[in-house]
Amino acid sequence: MSDGGKQSGVDNESSSSTKKKQKGGDDFGRSVSRIAVAQICESVGFQSSQRSVLDTLADVTIRYICSLGKSAHYYANISGRTECNPYDVIQGLEELAGSAQGFSGASDDNRCLSSSGVVRDISQFASTAEEVPFPRVIPRFPVVRTLKTTPSFAQMGKTPAGKHIPDWLPAFPDPHTYVHTPVWNERNTDPRADKLEQARQRRRAESSLLSLQQRIACYGAAVSVPSDNANDSKGKQVAENNPFLVPPLPYDSKQVSGVAIPKYDIAKKRFSVLETFAPAIEAAKAGALECRAIERRSLPSKRAPVHFRIGVDKKSISVPLSSGVLGNKSDSWFLRDDQKDDKKRRAEMILKEAMENPQELIQL
Amino acid sequence: MNSSNEGRHDDEAALTEFLSSLMDYTPTIPDELVEHYLGKSGFQCPDLRLTRLVAVATQKFITEIASDALQHCKARLSAPVKDKSKQPKEKRLVLTMDDLSRALREFASRNLGAFELLIGLTMLVIFQFVSAYGVNLKHPDYFADSPLTGMDPSSREE
Repeated sequence: MSDGGKQSGVDNESSSSTKKKQKGGDDFGRSVSRIAVAQICESVGFQSSQRSVLDTLADVTIRYICSLGKSAHYYANISGRTECNPYDVIQGLEELAGSAQGFSGASDDNRCLSSSGVVRDISQFASTAEEVPFPRVIPRFPVVRTLKTTPSFAQMGKTPAGKHIPDWLPAFPDPHTYVHTPVWNERNTDPRADKLEQARQRRRAESSLLSLQQRIACYGAAVSVPSDNANDSKGKQVAENNPFLVPPLPYDSKQVSGVAIPKYDIAKKRFSVLETFAPAIEAAKAGALECRAIERRSLPSKRAPVHFRIGVDKKSISVPLSSGVLGNKSDSWFLRDDQKDDKKRRAEMILKEAMENPQELIQL
Repeated sequence: MNSSNEGRHDDEAALTEFLSSLMDYTPTIPDELVEHYLGKSGFQCPDLRLTRLVAVATQKFITEIASDALQHCKARLSAPVKDKSKQPKEKRLVLTMDDLSRALREFASRNLGAFELLIGLTMLVIFQFVSAYGVNLKHPDYFADSPLTGMDPSSREE
């Protein structure tokens, strides 16, 4: 049976809404009875219905059931019983005037309940009406949930804390639920170890930075590399093959603005810091532009330094990488000015070590 | 006396037979629902046949009301068309509030038992008390959310 759907009036809406507010907890029973009522209406002959009508009829049904139960219970109580009989129900039905036209024998004072007209009417109805069972399986409701009670002392196997407490009483809650224990930080902080670790990590970062610088500087200064270094000859070959890595012109010959593009070479492993830093060291000492010894290794210093980022840290160590950097000051040779001062200090220390101990080659 | 005793036995036999026959008949109103509301009102009985009896009685009651409303609806549908230009009415049988209220009112007027007063009051409260607040409820109110609004209420089936 399809549902007409529309509310037929403001009154129904308001009354049904107030009903809903009043009996909000009984929604399940109400919806079940609405389904049953709709089925009854369909069996009577209706093809569709308004929603408010179904609600009203469901309400009427529920009232009828409650009223019948109440009167049957009343008759049982009057007879001195708590459980109801079929006769109690029949009497209740009679009280409700089971059929619209009353029932036969109502005026008879000494009537017997068994031959009550109500019963006959109902039996007649049951025999003639077609059976329309409820479409869905309904669980017993309301669902009764067993309460989880606190176990007693005896159930938990504990003896109560005092002799005055019997063991059939519920047990006390566990001490961890009410005792607040302070939570200590288990980690031992060793400031010395932390500093050592920090220094070690910095050194590692710097060493990797240096190696990168060497690789780039090696490719940048292509021709004027000492021949005793076998690795550099490889760089020279690379420079010859690559038009971008042509040997730089000597100073004052031509102003060029090309920047060396480094090629990543995994094979390069060992460098000597001294040899790599030698130009920088000499530049620092003598001044890069005037010194002829490093002319060949250096490009004109007027080139703009190329900055690129190494790594993905927020603190980007952006490094000026063109060979023109050789002309710059040593303390900003591979560090930006906004780095920490101690990093600069460490870099200077490395340079100093390299300068003071030329024999001691720091193999990286 | 004897005849009445025999009659009583017959009646009781008939009653018992009827009650047992109830177990074969499945009422439309489910047992769980009936048991829930009977339990709410204090009705205590472990016997399933009694709950079936209550369910069948309720079904009979609702069927009567619904059939009354159906008669009203059919009477309205078969009424002669006053306006020739109007289109023939829909033959669909819709249970409307009008029909139901009329059926319930007739039911309440026929029976003066406590329950009928209750039912009658239900409808009276809905229609008349609210009219005391100034809402005219002879016909359903005007809703602007349907293409059928504004048309004649009798032809407005849904």
